[in-house]
Amino acid sequence: MTLQECYAALGGNYDDAISRLRSERLVTKFVVKFLDDDSCALLLRSMDAENYEEAFRAAHTIKGVCQNLSFTRLYEVSNRLNEALRNGPTPEAPGLVEAVKTEYEQTVAAIRAFKESAGL
Amino acid sequence: MREKTTIADEIPRFLKRSLILVLALSVAVFALLAAFLARQSTSTIRTVSRMYMSGLSEQISAHFETAISLRLDQLDVLARTVAEPKIRSGEPWEEQLIEDAQSRDFTHMGILQLDGSFDMLYGPELHVTDPDPFLESLAENEKKVAVGTDAAGNRLILLGIPLRGIPTPEHPQVAFVAALPVDYISNTLSLEENSDHVYSYIIRKDGSFVIRTGDAFRESYFERVRSLYDSADGSRDTEPYIAGLQSAMEQNQIYSAEISIYGEPRQVFCSKLSHSEWFLLTAMPYQSLDAIVDGFTSRWTVMVFGACALVLVMLLMVFAQYSKLTNRQMMELEKARRSADRANKAKSEFLSNMSHDIRTPMNAIVGMTAIATTNIDNRDQVQNCLRKITLSSKHLLGLINDVLDMSKIESGKMTLNMDQVSLREVMDSIVNIVQPQVRAKHQHFSISIHDISTENVCCDGLRLNQVLINLLGNAVKFTPDGGTIEVALYEEPSPKGEDHIRTHITVKDNGIGMSEEYQAKIFDSFSREDSTRVQKTEGTGLGMTITKYIVDAMGGSITVDSQLGAGTEFHVTLDLLRATVQELDMVLPEWSMLVVDDDRQLCESAVASLRSIGLNPDWTQDAESALRMVDEHHRRRDDYHIILLDWKLPGMDGITAAREIRRRWGDAISILLISAYDWSDIENEAREAGVTGFIAKPLFKSTLFYGLRPFMDLVEEAEERDVHAAERADLEGRRILLAEDNDLNWEIASELLSEELGLQLEWAENGEICVEKFQASAPGYYEAILMDIRMPVMTGYQATTAIRAMDREDAKTIPIIAMTADAFSEDIHKCLECGMNAHVAKPIDVREVSRQLVRFIVKKEV
Repeated sequence: MTLQECYAALGGNYDDAISRLRSERLVTKFVVKFLDDDSCALLLRSMDAENYEEAFRAAHTIKGVCQNLSFTRLYEVSNRLNEALRNGPTPEAPGLVEAVKTEYEQTVAAIRAFKESAGL
Repeated sequence: MREKTTIADEIPRFLKRSLILVLALSVAVFALLAAFLARQSTSTIRTVSRMYMSGLSEQISAHFETAISLRLDQLDVLARTVAEPKIRSGEPWEEQLIEDAQSRDFTHMGILQLDGSFDMLYGPELHVTDPDPFLESLAENEKKVAVGTDAAGNRLILLGIPLRGIPTPEHPQVAFVAALPVDYISNTLSLEENSDHVYSYIIRKDGSFVIRTGDAFRESYFERVRSLYDSADGSRDTEPYIAGLQSAMEQNQIYSAEISIYGEPRQVFCSKLSHSEWFLLTAMPYQSLDAIVDGFTSRWTVMVFGACALVLVMLLMVFAQYSKLTNRQMMELEKARRSADRANKAKSEFLSNMSHDIRTPMNAIVGMTAIATTNIDNRDQVQNCLRKITLSSKHLLGLINDVLDMSKIESGKMTLNMDQVSLREVMDSIVNIVQPQVRAKHQHFSISIHDISTENVCCDGLRLNQVLINLLGNAVKFTPDGGTIEVALYEEPSPKGEDHIRTHITVKDNGIGMSEEYQAKIFDSFSREDSTRVQKTEGTGLGMTITKYIVDAMGGSITVDSQLGAGTEFHVTLDLLRATVQELDMVLPEWSMLVVDDDRQLCESAVASLRSIGLNPDWTQDAESALRMVDEHHRRRDDYHIILLDWKLPGMDGITAAREIRRRWGDAISILLISAYDWSDIENEAREAGVTGFIAKPLFKSTLFYGLRPFMDLVEEAEERDVHAAERADLEGRRILLAEDNDLNWEIASELLSEELGLQLEWAENGEICVEKFQASAPGYYEAILMDIRMPVMTGYQATTAIRAMDREDAKTIPIIAMTADAFSEDIHKCLECGMNAHVAKPIDVREVSRQLVRFIVKKEV
């Protein structure tokens, strides 16, 4: 699996990422690093603990990272969650958390597949 | 066929027969009509003249009576008033009476004696021609008129007034008698001059004349009648007439008869005159009346025959015209039949040709399939077969498409799909399609485009393509290897108005050409030049028909000009509607440019197009002068940005020129090679020579725009690179504190900013650490802080407020730039409220960050 295919799989914009980060090497590096990012775990924990402020921040972080890496699909759901949590919990927040979780898992799966095939 | 000819023959024969019949009929009808009317007029004349005669004779009688009565009354008055009283009184009376009588024009006067003698008062002795009735009447006390003579032999009219008392031998005086000349009567009655045609006599019962007129010299009318009849028409028996007249006179009846004298029929009318034994006989020859009527009749006849002739002439003309029309109709029918025959024949020929043409590729397909099947394991063989099958299929498809198109056309079902079409795209696609064929035959192919003011038109693009492909395909097909094919496209104002543009397309080759006969029917259905030269050429022969039909349907025209062996030129003229939506605003920066092409028209047209998109072009026709111009501009430090260079130039060619430019002036100038062909052959050589890129002919405005636009990016990028480099130089080595809670985001930012801008970044994992690090640093150690907003422990807002609140020299001045994924205006507002200097949105944009850093660090220093 190439990086481009990986982007296609996780619903990101490869060209955009390349133009921002300038090289495939850097994109690869940061995409792989995304696996270490614990923002999603933080989000889920905070939601469980009903710490909505922390959850909002976590969603915000995910959104920021996705923007930097041009993970368009994950960015979209996290952005919606971000707004749903901006001023405390809202009824649609839990559903969006689920969506973010699903999307996050797919993203991670795609990256793992890429990482494996690239032998990193 | 024979039957048709018979009908064609029958029609004139029928026409001739009916013409003769109608002519005869009209002549007969008119003749009958004339005869009938002539007879009618004769009898009418008879009736009219009888009426006229009776009226005339009544009038004359009345006149006679009046005149005679007048005279008698005069005489009576003389007798009663003058003579009688004096006679009674015994006075002398003669003198007075004579005087009075003479004054009244009485020529004689006397007293009639019982014995018939006169006792004359004056005038010569009178003698009564027929004294007995005269005497008798007077004796019976009646006034009477009679004829007499005097001693001198003058004929006289005698008027008698009876005297009172019965005459006795003692008093033998019977009456006063006065005389008047006979002329008096005839003058009074105007018997002579009454008219040229009518003459009157006064006769007695025995036929003797009292008054004669004209040539009547005999004493008796009867005698005259007899003699004249005898001399003129002896066969006639005059006696019944005379007898009738006599008996009528005896009975004092009016008598009317028709007699003929000198062969002329005349009407005679006889009536009794009063105070006399006389009869008035009036005769009127028909001749004179007839002459009038004849005149009328002859005029009438002339008119009738004239009318008849006119009608006949009209009839003849109508028949002639009709016959001519019929002939023409027959001829047209014949022509239509022939053309139907011809079309039919062409169709059957076409069918037989087609079945051959279709069978050939079909056989190839079937055969190749069989070969492929038997050699299924031989990959090369199968591939070869498949290739041939593909070729044959394509050919077959072409044939079938043509036939389908044709049947659509013939059934009138072909319609145009009007759409906005770019002439540039049409030409481009045509060039692409035709090029492989042109190259395969090593033909010279050129496209000339000029005066194109409107590139986007409303047209059926597919059909226009089809027309061009047909024309070009034919040109390629019928031009031998190495020949020349030229396509020209130009526009001019349309006579249809402002919103149309007249577009001319010509396709010219120097191929085998066409015979005159073939040119005449090239656009006919199912035609294909049938000569050995083109036997090898395949096709349905429908291409030109379809082409012609499409052009016609578009409201255009197509003409062909060809000479055997010299070549062919097709000229298509279309009035196309200008597309309402015009090409987008095509503007490029005002680069100075140079166009080098030996085709002057191309240069001028290209220069005009370039100017219209905002460029500043020069042009020249050969490489040598181009080099001079480049040199000149270089000396003026006004290098050309882009040079459009034709590949084929007289003298030095384009590639050599490019090499020379690169050698002398380096890489600063972009060089584009103009080429109508696929440039893959020369691409390597050209690139090596330093050519930057290629631009395809035809050079439409939009071709130029889209061809040059990439260079705008290049130029801008180059300019940007320069700017970027400058910024890097400015920011190199500066220490920046970056507050960012997320590892990944930190790494990305750190990587990009240190790599790209040469910044030294220090990381604060949250707002609190950021405040601490700043606090711990010496003033001026950090040149700026990039601050994330959403951080745990302490947010970017809080951190900024804390830093600004510190008591140190750079607390208020250090640039703090927010970096956040929230880009709402309230966020930005809040950032600035907290004391931040600026805000950049995530995802991180190196250019934007560097711009802000330069703005707050470098510019402040300056």
